Amino acid sequence: MNPNTSKLRQKQETTEQIASQQTAREFASPEEMLRHDAGQISPPPGLAHRVAESIAKEPRPARSWWQRWFSRRSTNP
Amino acid sequence: MATFVSMAEPAQTGSSSVSEEANRAKADAAATTAPGGPFSIGDRPKWAVPEFGAIYEEHSRPVYYLALRFLGDPAQAEDATHDVFLKAYRKLGEFRGDSAMRTWLYRITINHCKNLLQTWHHRHMVNNADESLWESAPASAENPLRVLEIKELGQRIQKTLDVLPEEYRLLLLLVADQQMSYNEIAALTGQSPDAVRGKLHRARKAFIAQFQKSA
Repeated sequence: MNPNTSKLRQKQETTEQIASQQTAREFASPEEMLRHDAGQISPPPGLAHRVAESIAKEPRPARSWWQRWFSRRSTNP
Repeated sequence: MATFVSMAEPAQTGSSSVSEEANRAKADAAATTAPGGPFSIGDRPKWAVPEFGAIYEEHSRPVYYLALRFLGDPAQAEDATHDVFLKAYRKLGEFRGDSAMRTWLYRITINHCKNLLQTWHHRHMVNNADESLWESAPASAENPLRVLEIKELGQRIQKTLDVLPEEYRLLLLLVADQQMSYNEIAALTGQSPDAVRGKLHRARKAFIAQFQKSA
């Protein structure tokens, strides 16, 4: 066999091996896999604006009982 | 043959905040070149109630992810996330702080997604899943959760989750969030922590067997 061809094939195999090493990944559990997946996904960029616009049309939410209680305590020690 | 590549998984909050920062930086860069319109992608939204903006910033990512993988459709997940935060805003006065904000938002998300799944289309979808198939799945010598193509991982996960019973899908998604304890998951799903542990064991088995098939 031509030594040049053999060297070329060896080089090609090494390159393929490096490429597969870079993409291969092993997970210990489904949750670890899902955690990795969750890290790759962000909400669509326009969604925050959509939510903010919808909220701007809403009346201000009522304060909860504990917020009212704490504000009363802070004004009347 | 590809060799095993082991990577230590960073804490979720850390990794997500880093990638969030990266996304924000990308979006900011895009906004400088984006043409005018109602808003540019990188612009920060103007929140009528800034405190609620902070709640959105902190929890929108896990809420969207739960909706996405639970419903299996990005457009539906986007609408669901919008509706969840709107409902949360309207009900903010009812939030008593007995549970964490994340748990409260997940409760709204789960109820909302379950309602969506009860539509005619979803009710009439034939579920071919047979639990006995997962129970009898042969154990492979190789790690069944080994993936060669990380690019297609999201599609394979979705294909796998779509076939699992709704309860298993939900438990796996909730337990994947490191902020959620077994007690919180039990409260959210209306069962005891022991029942959650038992079902999770079966859910993991089912996921692994189905994931192998999706290759």
